[in-house]
Amino acid sequence: MAREAVPQLAARRRVVFGESDVSDFDDEQDLPTESMPLMMGPSHPAMHGTVRMALEVEGEKIKTADIQIGYLHRCFEKEAEYATWTQIFPYTDRLNYVSPMLNNVGYALAVEKLLDLDGKIPERAQYIRVIVGEISRITDHLTCLAAGAMELAAFTVYFWLMKAREWLWELLEEVSGARLTHSYVRIGGVVADLPEGWPAKLREALVKVRGAIADADKLLTRNKIFRDRMDGVGVIAKADAAGWGLTGPVARSTGLAYDVRKDHPYLVYDRLDFDVPVGSTGDNFDRYAVRLEEIFQSMRILEQALAKIPTGPTIIDDARVALPGKRETYNTIEAMIAHFKLIMDGLHVPPGEIYSFTEGGNGELGFYIVADGSGRPWKCRVRPPCFANLAILTKVLPGLFIADVVPTFGMINMIGGECDR
Amino acid sequence: MAAESSLPAETVTVIVDGKEHKFAKGMNLLEACASVGAKIPFFCYHPGLSSPAVCRQCLVDIKGSPKPVPSCYTTVADKMEVTTNSPKVLDVRRQMLEFTLLNHPIDCPICDKAGECSLQRHYFDWDGKLARNEGDKVRKLKVVDVGKHIVLDQERCILCTRCIRVCDEVAKSPDLTMAYRGSEQILTTAPGQRLDNPYSLNTVDVCPVGALTAKDFRFARRAWELSATPSVCPGCATGCNIEIHAAQGKIWRLVPRENPAVNKFWMCDEGRFEYKAVHENRIFLPQLGGKRARFDAALAEAARMLRVATAEEAGSVGVVFSYAATNEDTHALLHLAIDGLKIQRIYAGGRSPGWSDAILVSADKNPNTAGVERMVPLPLRTLKDLTSDIATGVLSTVLVLANEALPVPAATPVELVVLASHKGPLVDAAQVVLPIATWAEVNGTFTNKDGRVQRLHPAIEAPGEAVPGWRAVALLAGKLGMKLAYASAEEVFAEAARSHAFLKDAAWGPSSQPVQLRFGESRG
Repeated sequence: MAREAVPQLAARRRVVFGESDVSDFDDEQDLPTESMPLMMGPSHPAMHGTVRMALEVEGEKIKTADIQIGYLHRCFEKEAEYATWTQIFPYTDRLNYVSPMLNNVGYALAVEKLLDLDGKIPERAQYIRVIVGEISRITDHLTCLAAGAMELAAFTVYFWLMKAREWLWELLEEVSGARLTHSYVRIGGVVADLPEGWPAKLREALVKVRGAIADADKLLTRNKIFRDRMDGVGVIAKADAAGWGLTGPVARSTGLAYDVRKDHPYLVYDRLDFDVPVGSTGDNFDRYAVRLEEIFQSMRILEQALAKIPTGPTIIDDARVALPGKRETYNTIEAMIAHFKLIMDGLHVPPGEIYSFTEGGNGELGFYIVADGSGRPWKCRVRPPCFANLAILTKVLPGLFIADVVPTFGMINMIGGECDR
Repeated sequence: MAAESSLPAETVTVIVDGKEHKFAKGMNLLEACASVGAKIPFFCYHPGLSSPAVCRQCLVDIKGSPKPVPSCYTTVADKMEVTTNSPKVLDVRRQMLEFTLLNHPIDCPICDKAGECSLQRHYFDWDGKLARNEGDKVRKLKVVDVGKHIVLDQERCILCTRCIRVCDEVAKSPDLTMAYRGSEQILTTAPGQRLDNPYSLNTVDVCPVGALTAKDFRFARRAWELSATPSVCPGCATGCNIEIHAAQGKIWRLVPRENPAVNKFWMCDEGRFEYKAVHENRIFLPQLGGKRARFDAALAEAARMLRVATAEEAGSVGVVFSYAATNEDTHALLHLAIDGLKIQRIYAGGRSPGWSDAILVSADKNPNTAGVERMVPLPLRTLKDLTSDIATGVLSTVLVLANEALPVPAATPVELVVLASHKGPLVDAAQVVLPIATWAEVNGTFTNKDGRVQRLHPAIEAPGEAVPGWRAVALLAGKLGMKLAYASAEEVFAEAARSHAFLKDAAWGPSSQPVQLRFGESRG
């Protein structure tokens, strides 16, 4: 499918400005017009994450769309080559910055595979990673739904959902010390145990979040204005989703039931019961509905994880991987040296390469890492899910109205920090 | 394998970790294993010293031997079967490290050696287990002033005796010894004696931990922040190979770099302080009549003076070469003075001779005397000749290249054009001064007393408007209408190699960027 799409794309771009040609339009009510270039973004309020869409429009209709990314390029991959393995965690926070925990976990799992620590991570740490990860997934989806609604003028919904997101971020702040840039996960586990009484707070918060979502659901799901902008707009075919490498809620909205947590289980996901919601038409409303349902599935996972989480250590007991405790470091030379070497040289990852992938907020978040035995990665490449998800807009947008760009782009949920890296 | 075909006729076959290898007869087992990639840690072994086998860190299993044996003390034998990584060997290494760490103080945060410490490295690579006891450690003396340049911390000492052997075998001055036994054993000097031999700072280099630290570098900089650049010591005609350790535009220490043909692993204490001059009394800007000037104006004035003087009477113009200047600077100046200006009066000077010994130190305290003498085709007059020629009025104008503060008479009636890096009476007396870079700031070569041409690499930026000597010469030549268009020191070297026989076989070699010790191979 994708192979056929390319010549079509090229044909659409062959445009002579000033020529009036309405043969593409089957809508007879359209008056003949001249095509016009229209730059949407990078400073357009709906182009959140900073992206530019070079549209070619004929009247209100989009003829071609050229998606230009790179405005949030931060040199993550190059920077990672100059940081120790542990120093990269703060950088991963800034990939998908509405679900940093998922990036933390994805990166840690990749390095742990290189270190051959798979299966040696304490169970409690694995459950904690699932819990903070799923909270992050909820905040990710809440952000997408809230912003998507707001851009269609449903400002009330935005505030209600943002409020719910804030309750969850407060919980993550309590765990990690930072509201947004958590850097909570470490190679070998997590940096600290959950605070006392925290599970109860999470349960309480989930009840409140359910209420907020129910309110938003009432305002949106059967709202004619909202449905008119979403239904049948930005339709992606299931075959295209597979062909263009789409993953996450965008792929699932087309009926492609691919979820890394189910298809390639990691951490303790194989012990938790949850469903993978899929759409049927692949339009914007399906993406909205899939995200909404995934929030409830994440809550299911959270409730099970809270019930099943065992007690025990939260980080691996190996001075060559995890920092020794403060008491040991200040009082024994062994721990002092281990601490010094881990901080100054970085932990030693044996030479090798790995592609490790997890289910991020927007789909398959992959890390391709090459280690040369030193304290830094030789190469650290990220497969950002929304890079592929965004690319298909060049195919989806033509034929839509300018106003359709906003909900369609919103439901793709492009996150600049992740897409541009 | 290519390495094996070049082995001497007498070889032995040794099985290292299950693979058969051929080694020269009489080879040290540790070196043999290391040469085929088997990693063996050690503290007391040093390739430039004898092996006492005291640290027990290099133990390996040899088939037929009831106990693990120290590989540094064993010679390869035919049909020997060696295991360097069996669980038993690894366990023994770990246990020896545990012993070594038992009384080691928790000093890493305040220890100069941290970051380039063998003990840290071996613990992390071979042990990695946390302490099993929390009893009090044996306390010893912390800050022992053992010598002019060195402070000893007896608690940190792991009793490897490398420093004792450096004094005995390299400096031939048995200053250090062990005293007492068991956990009370200490490194010390005899009562009333000091560690004051001319090679004492090599003990700091070989110390695997921070027991011996250099007063000069103590608490100056964290080792891993330094960047290393390969270079050559400018202190005397021996040309010891060194590494310049610099950070933030400043040199913090010089350490020897291995070269079996010149200095092996060592250098003298005097040479280590050669870096101080790089940062002292430097000239940053060109001067005209003692006042700051633009580079271009100074060049134009120098060119005018030389043009007028050579036009009036070429015989009254002299050129002074420096034995401290690189081959490239010398060649460029030679080109300008002899080929361009047709000057016949050539002088050369440098630092006055000093003490010498049979180990490394040469009496000639200049790094490139051999290079200058071989390059200049005319008879070289001395600085004494220069003084008398000035006094008798033979000279009217002198062009001086002085990488170091050259002891040229200051109060002179002659016109002086000076290309200098350092302030001094010569610069004060000069009409035109052009600032040039020192040995630590340039690409270039020195020729040592044996005719060995050795490469310098820039470790830091030259201060102010200083440029390499050859470039200053080339700019001056440009003002005189000559074409000396060198783009780099390498081009000067290539041209010099074409015109001087002794440079024919010398290679410029690859360029070298400073490498931060944190990311380079740890020196520990």
